[in-house]
Amino acid sequence: MSPAVPDGQLHAEDVSFAYVGAARAALRHVHLGVAPGEVVLITGASGCGKSTLALTLCGLIPSRVHGELRGRVTFGGRPLSGLKPHEASQLVGMVFQNPNLQLITQTVQSEVAFGPENLALPQPEIAARVDECLDVTGMTGMRQASVVTLSGGQKQRTAIAATLAMRPRILVLDEPLSDLDPVGAQEVLGTLQRLARDGGTGVIIIEHRVDEVAPWADRVVLMDDGRVVLDQPPRGAWADRRPWLATGVGIPDMVRLAQAVPEPFGSVLPLSVADAADTVQDTWFPAALAAAAADRASGAGPPAGHPPRDSPPPVLSWEDVSVDFDGNRAVDGVTLAVNEGEWVALIGANGSGKSTLTGLTVGLGQPSSGVVRFRGKPVRPGKVFVHAAQVALLLQAADDMLFETTVRKELEFGFRFRARPEHPVLDVSEAIEFFGFGGQEEASPWELSQGGRQRLALAALLVGAPGVLVLDEPTTGQDADHMRAFLGLLDRLRARTSITIVTVTHDIRGLASRASRVVLLGAGRVRMDGPAGRVFAATGELDRWGVLAPPLGRLQSALLGPAAADVLLGVDELAAAVLAHRPDPAAAGRGAGALRP
Amino acid sequence: MIHSLLAQTVIAYLLIFAVPMLLPVAFIKLVGLGGLRALVTYEASDTPLHRLDPRLKVLYPIGMGTLSILFSWKAMLIVFGLTILPWFWLRPSRAKIRVLMVMIIGPALAGFWGQGMYYLPPSPIHFLYKFPWTMAWLGSPGITSYGMIFGTEQTARVLVTVSTSMLILVSTDVSDFTWAFERFRAPPHVGFALTAALRFLPEMIARTTLVLRAVELRGYDMSRPRWHQFRRWPDYLKRVSRCVVLVTVPLLVGTLRGTTTMAMVADARGFGASKRRGSLRVHKTTAVDVWGYVILAALVVAAIVLNHLNIGARYYG
Repeated sequence: MSPAVPDGQLHAEDVSFAYVGAARAALRHVHLGVAPGEVVLITGASGCGKSTLALTLCGLIPSRVHGELRGRVTFGGRPLSGLKPHEASQLVGMVFQNPNLQLITQTVQSEVAFGPENLALPQPEIAARVDECLDVTGMTGMRQASVVTLSGGQKQRTAIAATLAMRPRILVLDEPLSDLDPVGAQEVLGTLQRLARDGGTGVIIIEHRVDEVAPWADRVVLMDDGRVVLDQPPRGAWADRRPWLATGVGIPDMVRLAQAVPEPFGSVLPLSVADAADTVQDTWFPAALAAAAADRASGAGPPAGHPPRDSPPPVLSWEDVSVDFDGNRAVDGVTLAVNEGEWVALIGANGSGKSTLTGLTVGLGQPSSGVVRFRGKPVRPGKVFVHAAQVALLLQAADDMLFETTVRKELEFGFRFRARPEHPVLDVSEAIEFFGFGGQEEASPWELSQGGRQRLALAALLVGAPGVLVLDEPTTGQDADHMRAFLGLLDRLRARTSITIVTVTHDIRGLASRASRVVLLGAGRVRMDGPAGRVFAATGELDRWGVLAPPLGRLQSALLGPAAADVLLGVDELAAAVLAHRPDPAAAGRGAGALRP
Repeated sequence: MIHSLLAQTVIAYLLIFAVPMLLPVAFIKLVGLGGLRALVTYEASDTPLHRLDPRLKVLYPIGMGTLSILFSWKAMLIVFGLTILPWFWLRPSRAKIRVLMVMIIGPALAGFWGQGMYYLPPSPIHFLYKFPWTMAWLGSPGITSYGMIFGTEQTARVLVTVSTSMLILVSTDVSDFTWAFERFRAPPHVGFALTAALRFLPEMIARTTLVLRAVELRGYDMSRPRWHQFRRWPDYLKRVSRCVVLVTVPLLVGTLRGTTTMAMVADARGFGASKRRGSLRVHKTTAVDVWGYVILAALVVAAIVLNHLNIGARYYG
């Protein structure tokens, strides 16, 4: 006999699941309970079973995804496995990762009405549900809009509204933020918190972006190899770092900082920038931070991004480039140069013109005016295959760049159509070794992990000997471990080849902070251009153009105000800087302002 | 010179192949995959046409298509003119107009040209250009004026249905189609199939565009030769054929993943839970609807009556 389960509580009891033909179970003895109004963050490395757990919790396993299921999932004591999908979805609703694949109709309101219409509800009831769901997701003003015209955040909010229209008591969201910029992510998270707080809906968010979700969550669940290895309220979730380090899942920057500099934070483990700023406001931390910033300012060299007059010509340049699409200006008079060996990150909100600008470097698209040059020579629009030998553009959907049956053939692909380069960045055998494909040369690309396929696509581009690597959102949807591995790979690549890198990214914390120079685009124009520390210090300007600065940047700006002209973006770096300027314990008794030199 | 057999043969080849070669070029240049995507994408707006009773919208292409078959050529011209008028009311975007023009003029030109060469009227035949004997293997004796007129008539009949269908497609939210089908007692699956097709066709086209870009980024040459670079065209066609094979795998993998998710979403939203569906839409019949029904009914009835009275009717003898 199972213990009594409170009404409205979702409960997984000793759930194990193995897909048909799989040698190993995807879920192993999972116990989990979610109450109404609770927000639960489930995280873990890729392949740890998070998405399988989501499908199980909403009843699509076993009704639509087949395999061997043990244990049971109940809602208010009622087993979900015996229910039809439409019955289960009125108890536990599921929002999938890609909003494009779950918006079935053409307008926002018809999408939200689709579920209630299927239930053959009377018209007034359907209308009431549509109004309510659009209101709670903040989409009322866009009810007549065509779904193809919506931004990523709006699409995801429409998908949430459509799921809510089934009136589920619990909402499960599988990586709802993966395709969103930080501002879009905050929109969605705000909506989810309102649902939980005002509507009493239980919310389960499966997400890699722990930093962004943790402040909104009531509980944090960490999974590893199909098991739940940690289930704690957020403030206690990182008290023991070992499970996080073992699984490779990222720890929020504020938590890492509090653990690296424990004294000013005391017993509080902050989850958000506001939390951290409030906690350290009246300690020695702000003064030490200010002293460290003053030190850096006095020793600062000339700003990056403006090479000396005698420097060699840029490897890539955009000269007063504008691009129009259907009468709309996507890029507006951009002048920008990327020098040999630089790592430049292009940041900006969705639709700011980043991808359009980088596409021009390989001849994708045509400037309405201005010129794009590679090593001084104009890039010819449409001649993509010619420019692909000079500039390697790795698309966000790296899977779409793989066409062959084996890893080796994939690397040789380009040479079937053009001569092998005389001086490649890496030749095929070097690429196999460098990217870790030794022993997998004859394996199908589709047998590799997602990270492996991305590495293969990158390797295949590099063997064509380009001088510049352009990466379009390369870390989207990746867990912290894969992201670290990818960034490490880029570091090693730069150390070995001195290749120039241009990155288009929303991943401000991971990727953009690593770049030697950051360019902020807003409404198709260059709004800021400089070292990452200086650009991310300008939180007001970033806000204005729809970009959220990384948490460490925001903390330093919050504590120092306008004095934060150059912020530190690494936790270790920041911790070392403030510890180096902490007050001398002996002098502390004589006043808080007594700082080490 | 122009009367020599060689010159006549060259001119004949140009005449025969000019249009079939121009059409794909015009399609690629003026429409392309992006244009095709625009063509099947609903444009939300608040015109009277958008607000029209969806049932009338479903009946409209069927009714006008029937008229185009029943009437003689001259009467058909009036029908064709009537189908063009609502476009001025709708005022579609410039991008859509460009695509629509190509999609309408292209087949019209093909029909006009093809029938001009291959429709053989009764004797005496008036040739605009008579092909020499060297062209006999192509089965056309030459271009006839009567054939061209016949081709224009046939194409215009087809275009009546095409134009009216396109008009409805760009001005109707797919959920309104579903509503109309349900009012006509069609099974919900018919509406859902249409919904899925119209919603995901643009996605599919966008994805195909992306994968084709990826092929080029991997160094595959998809550049088209200029029209006069005859030697390069066979190689280009070979490359295009090989590219179709190359892009199939990523397209197939992506599509299968997408359809699995979509099927689960439809299940979770209760599709098929009930034999009848409810509807958000409450259609209040307006004066425009009434006039629309009256005009459509009057046109169809008049066509049948006139046909019986042999006025404006087609000659089948």
